[in-house]
Amino acid sequence: MSTPFYNRVQKLRKQYPQSRSAVLPALRLAQEEHGGWLPSEALREVADALDETPAYVVSIASFYDMLNLEPVGRHLVEVCTNLSCALAGAQSVLDGFAGELGVRPGGTTEDGVVTLRAIECAGGCGHAPVVIVDGAYREPVQAKDVSAIVEELRAFD
Amino acid sequence: MSSELVTLTIDDRQVSVPKGTGLVEAAQVARVEIPVFCYEPRLGPPVGACRMCLVEIEGAPKLQAGCTLTAGEGMVVRSAATSAKAAEGQQATLEFILVNHPLDCPVCDKGGECPLQDLTFRYGPGNTRMAFPKLTFDKPIPVSPLIALDRERCILCYRCTRFSDEVAEDGQLVARNRGARTEIATFEDEPYRSPFSGNVVELCPVGALTSSLYRFDARPWDIQNVPTVCTACPVGCNVSATIREGKVRRILSRNHPEVDRGWLCDKGRFTYPHLRANDRITAPLRRIPRGLSEVSWDEALDSAEEMLREAEGAVVTALSGSETMEIAYGLGRLLRAGLGANSAVLPEATSDTLGAFRLPLSAIAEAELVVVVGDDPVVERAPIVDLWLKEARRRGAELVVCSPSGSVQTPPGEAARLCQSLAQQRNPLGRRLRAAERVVLVWSGPGGGGGARVAELAHALGFEEKPGCGAFHLPATPNGRGVALAWSAAGDKDEANPQPIKVLVVSGDEAAADPSVRALAEDSERVIAITMFHQLVAGWADLVLPATACLERDGTSMNLEGRVQRLRRAVPPPCPDELAWISKLGDRLGVDIPAHASRVFADLAEHVFRDLGLDDIGDRAPLPGRKPFEAPAPGTASATAAPPAAEEHFVGALHLQRYRPLFSGPAVERIRELEFQRPPFEVELARRDAERRRIATGDRVLVRSNGTSVELRARVNRKLVEGVARIAEEHAADLHPSVEVVKA
Amino acid sequence: MPSTELFLAGTEDHDLRRLSEYREVGGYAALEKARAMEPQAVMGEITGATLRGRGGAGFPMGRKASLLAKNTGKPTYLVVNADESEPGAFKDRDVMGLTPHRLLEGCLITAHGIESTDVFIYIRGEYLHEYDVLVAALEEARTAALLGDVTIVIHRGAGAYICGEETGLLESLEGSRGQPRPRPPFPPVDGLYGAPTQINNVSTIALVPKILELGAGEFAKIGVPSAPGTAVFSLSGNVARPGNYERPLGTTLRELIYDLGGGVADGRELKAIIPGGSSVPVLTPDEIDTPMDYDSIQAAGSFFGSAAIMVIDDRVCMVQLALRAAQFYMHESCGKCTPCRVGTRWLVQLLTKIEVGEAERRDLDLLDDVCDKMLGKSLCALGDFAVYPVSSYLRKYRSEFEAHLGGAGCPLAGISPIEGIFAPVSQHAGHAEVAHVV
Ligand SMILES: Cc1cc2nc3c(=O)[nH]c(=O)nc-3n(C[C@H](O)[C@H](O)[C@H](O)COP(=O)(O)O)c2cc1C
Ligand code: SF4
Ligand code: FES
Repeated sequence: MSTPFYNRVQKLRKQYPQSRSAVLPALRLAQEEHGGWLPSEALREVADALDETPAYVVSIASFYDMLNLEPVGRHLVEVCTNLSCALAGAQSVLDGFAGELGVRPGGTTEDGVVTLRAIECAGGCGHAPVVIVDGAYREPVQAKDVSAIVEELRAFD
Repeated sequence: MSSELVTLTIDDRQVSVPKGTGLVEAAQVARVEIPVFCYEPRLGPPVGACRMCLVEIEGAPKLQAGCTLTAGEGMVVRSAATSAKAAEGQQATLEFILVNHPLDCPVCDKGGECPLQDLTFRYGPGNTRMAFPKLTFDKPIPVSPLIALDRERCILCYRCTRFSDEVAEDGQLVARNRGARTEIATFEDEPYRSPFSGNVVELCPVGALTSSLYRFDARPWDIQNVPTVCTACPVGCNVSATIREGKVRRILSRNHPEVDRGWLCDKGRFTYPHLRANDRITAPLRRIPRGLSEVSWDEALDSAEEMLREAEGAVVTALSGSETMEIAYGLGRLLRAGLGANSAVLPEATSDTLGAFRLPLSAIAEAELVVVVGDDPVVERAPIVDLWLKEARRRGAELVVCSPSGSVQTPPGEAARLCQSLAQQRNPLGRRLRAAERVVLVWSGPGGGGGARVAELAHALGFEEKPGCGAFHLPATPNGRGVALAWSAAGDKDEANPQPIKVLVVSGDEAAADPSVRALAEDSERVIAITMFHQLVAGWADLVLPATACLERDGTSMNLEGRVQRLRRAVPPPCPDELAWISKLGDRLGVDIPAHASRVFADLAEHVFRDLGLDDIGDRAPLPGRKPFEAPAPGTASATAAPPAAEEHFVGALHLQRYRPLFSGPAVERIRELEFQRPPFEVELARRDAERRRIATGDRVLVRSNGTSVELRARVNRKLVEGVARIAEEHAADLHPSVEVVKA
Repeated sequence: MPSTELFLAGTEDHDLRRLSEYREVGGYAALEKARAMEPQAVMGEITGATLRGRGGAGFPMGRKASLLAKNTGKPTYLVVNADESEPGAFKDRDVMGLTPHRLLEGCLITAHGIESTDVFIYIRGEYLHEYDVLVAALEEARTAALLGDVTIVIHRGAGAYICGEETGLLESLEGSRGQPRPRPPFPPVDGLYGAPTQINNVSTIALVPKILELGAGEFAKIGVPSAPGTAVFSLSGNVARPGNYERPLGTTLRELIYDLGGGVADGRELKAIIPGGSSVPVLTPDEIDTPMDYDSIQAAGSFFGSAAIMVIDDRVCMVQLALRAAQFYMHESCGKCTPCRVGTRWLVQLLTKIEVGEAERRDLDLLDDVCDKMLGKSLCALGDFAVYPVSSYLRKYRSEFEAHLGGAGCPLAGISPIEGIFAPVSQHAGHAEVAHVV
């Protein structure tokens, strides 16, 4: 167990009247420290730092879309496929990424570089289709922009 | 709930109920059924999850979940019986519930006693319109060796997870994922390890959580339930033993609202298979040159009589705290009146003084302030008391635990001194104890004169005058008080400590497993042991008489509140019971001891309880009133404090704190499925102590004292007071009170 | 029209993310004014302005505040709902991203009005940029000693639509699974940590400074009497110029879609309008003159919702649209109550069967009936939200549903732009499971 993590969580706890409120920030921190997902040890560390059980922590982590209980690639490409983006051509954008990366939505490239995901409405409907790359919004992204983004990800790796 | 009444109309019937009554309960008063699944008031505030209880409320546009409402003045409520809209809602809910529920009722353990089956039969759709594949999950998975989970049957009422989170507060059983994929789970493959896990089996309204020990054992129409009392600890929870073909198949709660509120611990619930343990003794045994050999009852009684007579009164009796009062009294009459053998090793120190501060356990939940002192966690001594304390805290009580790992970290052995200082006027906590109207004191640990020290404190704080204030002592044995009382009622001669001991009578497994009794046996010429299990006595008893288990006994037992409760024979023992042969031996020694528990009780009651009859006790025993306070013999604080002995004190020494875990003892040891609940091979260390020794959780360490050493796994306990190494009794072997802990 | 710019006023020519520029357009003057007033007087202005909640239900903010329990011995909390996750909605994002100080000023004024010193802003986890903007603005405000004795904690969600529902939000903020609570008790009585809690949407709170600045009387002159003020309307879908437009309430859909949005994209024909985000009943082109305010839109059989207007053109298959919406609600159902958890999955199964052409007429009846059985039975409104699109598309475009039956399949196959779309169906296990709309 890394002491700094424990201490950082103690700081997060102090922001709130009740310590459980710090579970999401703590999970996010743990996810950052563990390469974008939450292996068992990460869940245990969070539990320990919050004086809670690992079972409690997993019950929370599994409720939220942005917390990953399985490994992800070093980069995360999320394509919104909800109504507005769909109407604006999200389908071809997603297909474009799938083709370019050689993975199905939900999968990770064999070299572990990119995970591709279809997601629900990201709140960018006025600039559809929305693609979120490593947490940053790209709006709008058309099918023709896909290969440049993939190239950029590979270059930065 | 106040005494103020509100009047409302349910299905055209007017009822008046106390303000604050839940609508479901109010409907019951009006004899209207509002069906429920998720609603269970013992699990905290209603969650409104299953939607079975939909009702129409005048003025509300939508149907409302009846379980989440409280009765209000002038409310007009319509259940499915008189509202088409509510009926439609109810049918819709049942249809949705059944969409994913498998129709495997014929092979389901819950079949025949299943709320879902019953409600479907009464209100449900006749057929299914769901033509798509139902959600499927992996077949029954063990959530622990004790409990199986069949997720396909789960209707997600969240009763089990609410129990885990809000009653046991163990945080082990949770809901995972979201939406249609929601499922009940533990952390990864870890078992649901909680002293209270079995309660979820009783709470589950369908056959999703079942007992592994009971699975496929019986059908509800060929069983009987016998009401009796659990004697696995001093709480004395009220239970039903389910019997089929003369065997105990399961233990269920029988809800005594003042004692257990319908909860049981796993020790009480799951140890019944020890009745059929492989090494159960069913016939008398006598020592032969190479071990023990079965003898007839006549031979056994001859031997016993002969041994006892030859001893000429130099007999000591070691009693277990789990005997019934009748057995203790019977033995007492036999040995004291029959032989003049008045010496006894009682299971533990007891004191009657707490009778002046008596409260039902349920009063803990109403307390504003609770102070626990003593070295042992409450849960290890009296698990249900732990649940009452948790409930008190949830209801807003302040809970102060002064113990080595409590909220106020206190070194071991300090409890008596602490009581003395709390009694003083200038102690701040003591002042608050004096000022409050609803205070409960609890002594949880060794020492304390069987409650005398905490009674003195209660007296000093003026609790006699306050009906809302009380004190409890958590004994180490289930009926130590009753046994002591019965033994003392059986004769009036004082003890004479015979030297040497010619015969040691060891009554019961607890005594037989007690190292100090074993030590006494070394110094005794002969030993007569009354036990259930061969392994316990194989090496050292000269004559062994088979003992019965509590589930096989009629009789009475006194719990930690001082409540006398009735045990009933659930199954016949595989051997004559104790009173049968005690009575026969009595005949030989010229004492008249009835062979029936009820008659022994009548005799005993005349001596000690004045006007208490078995009928007064009934199925849910009442709590006797308070007695006037009588000052106990003064104790000395230093007698209970155990500072490490100076000569043993080497540098870096820690004080060894042994504790007796709930999951220990001869019965528990015989249940394979309970093994995971037993204390791990570990030593707990305070964070600073561990850091100083560069020890982290998981490290193998050696715990050493002069000459002996044990290898254990270390666990850093941030709550533990410094200077202590905490080890379960069964792993502490022969370690001395002062130990050294180093990395292995 | 400067008088109708309330939220976004000044964003044209100023970088209002910076305190100095916000001050230039009069920022924090309202706070000063409010702090000189008695708390009741502040709430009096808000009540007088009939400020209706912009989060969806349109409940008057002042009335909500009047329900706050008094003398409980507990603190009173102000919680800002910035979880904006309704498909089609992106108004709060601009309010936070462009004028963060306006939100913070609104928080501080409201906190003064309800005598609270603890504010929590629950922002959806995906809005990382807006979070950073807010955090920076908060830091500036703190440095400038604007907070007084108020603490503002900005709390990030982690991807769950249900955390926009007010009690789900509170559960999530308390560190539980974001599953809604039964009501009553309502948050003003028993909210965050069991204490009295005022919850409002970002846009509601961001309007508060303008009310103080203009005075309730002036404010009430904007918009319609039953719902004064402006709203930020989010235009999306098959519209020529999608984006956020701030207009007074009561502006008609026609003005919004045609005058501001430039009409249907690519000159196509209008087929349907979803006026308040995906969870509200659909309107048909002949209802385009409906004014966008709570009461008018409700009279037309839909809801104002989050003022997120989706424009649907004539190529779009309504069954696909219903199915994609149903998938969203199935994915977002929290799983607590039976009708929503089970019903949303059943809807997806039935709609899939219809879309692929395997359904019969009785499946349409069953779909209709499942909608009925779900409606009004669930613990929170998500169950209803899942029903509205499906039941309203089915009612208003029934012939299109019927055209799919008996092996016919999709009449718009090859034309509909959302054909074959992927939707996430599972939020766990690496999000691997996706559904394919055939
Ligand atoms: C499923 C569901 C999702 C919701 N999502 C949001 C949301 O993202 N943002 C929001 O402000 N209100 C949302 N609401 C409405 C809130 O419950 C609540 O009414 C609102 O935050 C109150 O703020 P207001 O009075 O200022 O509108 C949602 C409601 C439901 C039932
Ligand atoms: S396992 Fe049983 S008790 Fe637990 S949620 Fe499912 S049905 Fe309810
Ligand atoms: S019993 Fe009321 S919702 Fe379950």
